[in-house]
Amino acid sequence: MSAGALRRPVYVSGIGESRPVPRDPRAIPEMVLEAVQAAYADARCAHTDIDAVVTASVDLLDGLTASNIAVTEVVDAVMKPETRISSEGLAAALHAAAQIASGAYDAVLVVAHAKTSMADYQGLTRWALDPIHVQPLGADFLACAGLQAAMLADGDPGAERRWAKVAAERRRAGNGTFLIPSSVEEILLSPVIAAPLREGMCAPLGDAACAVVLTAGSAAVRLTGVGWDLDSHALGERDLRRWDGLRRAFARACAVAGMDPRGMPIDLVEPSCFYPHEEEMFRAATAIGERAELSPDGGLFAGTAPVVAGLSRFAAAARGVRAGRAKRALAHGAWGPAGQGQAVAILQAGA
Amino acid sequence: MSAPVHVALEMDQSWRYAAPAAMARFCAGLKERRIEALRCGGCGRRYLPPRPVCGNCHLPLADWVPVADEGRLEAWTVVHVPILDPRTGRMREAPYGMGLVRLDGADTTLNHFLAQSDPARLAIGQRVRAVWREQLAGAIDDIRHFEVLA
Repeated sequence: MSAGALRRPVYVSGIGESRPVPRDPRAIPEMVLEAVQAAYADARCAHTDIDAVVTASVDLLDGLTASNIAVTEVVDAVMKPETRISSEGLAAALHAAAQIASGAYDAVLVVAHAKTSMADYQGLTRWALDPIHVQPLGADFLACAGLQAAMLADGDPGAERRWAKVAAERRRAGNGTFLIPSSVEEILLSPVIAAPLREGMCAPLGDAACAVVLTAGSAAVRLTGVGWDLDSHALGERDLRRWDGLRRAFARACAVAGMDPRGMPIDLVEPSCFYPHEEEMFRAATAIGERAELSPDGGLFAGTAPVVAGLSRFAAAARGVRAGRAKRALAHGAWGPAGQGQAVAILQAGA
Repeated sequence: MSAPVHVALEMDQSWRYAAPAAMARFCAGLKERRIEALRCGGCGRRYLPPRPVCGNCHLPLADWVPVADEGRLEAWTVVHVPILDPRTGRMREAPYGMGLVRLDGADTTLNHFLAQSDPARLAIGQRVRAVWREQLAGAIDDIRHFEVLA
């Protein structure tokens, strides 16, 4: 594996969000516009300052082929080079960073959106699985997560209670927008939805948009490490008990940042974990210890939306660095069945 | 080469679209045979169908202007492939005319069906007029099609 440092510094200049809510009555362009305008205001820039745009959206969720066409104007992509990433917002940010690091552009807007209230999200994920040998079974991403959790819980009788404790802790730290069971006992009594996962162990999904302005010009937060990885799509071709893709993505990000992955002094970690067992896999793949602050605001358990999750973690990590809560922070994004795709960003303070 | 594997799958899925506020007003206007466009405060471009933001200036649009139900045919085609009409669930018979119409008072064009399907009788620049349905529902097909004016 080889990975060199970014050829040009990349900074996080602006952050804007349409915060996750269970059901946003607005149209997707209206949600997205709120995030973009907030990011521009935060960056103190105008649309004429933006050279290029990278968007993240998924056609199936939007019920629209080429889902970026509905937001072309609001993401400020008219007469600009736009790239659409159909996986995860953090992957979009890393592609935008590559555009800046290459010298192609000086300022790139990154936007991710998803509105799960539009349709049956888990039902839609069936379409993202193999049409011949998985779709006929009716399996969806939730079933994949259940399979993964079941493998991890095998021979570990304390797993369920441990996961309930993690979920309860994250929910307590969240903002309470989503009304969901929050104590350990409530979570353990919540309905089983994909054994051994219970309803209370799942990060609540809703509608959200997030926008970030990346620039070559100096700002308070610098992006120093980037890495991503795609594992086999077929569940049967992976050891589901491990996120090997994350391990590789993390190693690449550390190499780009010029850091030793075993001795990374990271103060703040913002992982994209939709279930508590994923948090355990995250810790194992990155060897992030207990010293780092992890999801202080509840992470995805405060409410999230697929596609947006990773970019919102990036925004949270950048806010932590900007506020002086961390000198170095890690943001993580994951997508696909049982975390097939993985992305890591390392942020640090200062120019 | 092996034969393709045929797996019969039947999946039903629907989406609940939230109309942007501008589109909701546009649709409400149709129910009263009223067509409105949104004008950009920066470049002055009048958008029909209305858009939430001007793509040129990236300014939110809020200045409504009236538009006639007559205009100029900017482009036309005659389609010979039958399509499943998603509004009725029935096949739409071919051939049928389709055009881009720039209504008087707008700077962008509206995509719609044309009453005329004879290529010999269609030409860019022709004046066209909306033919409204008797029963209006507040949807784009409240206009049945556009007919060429003599």
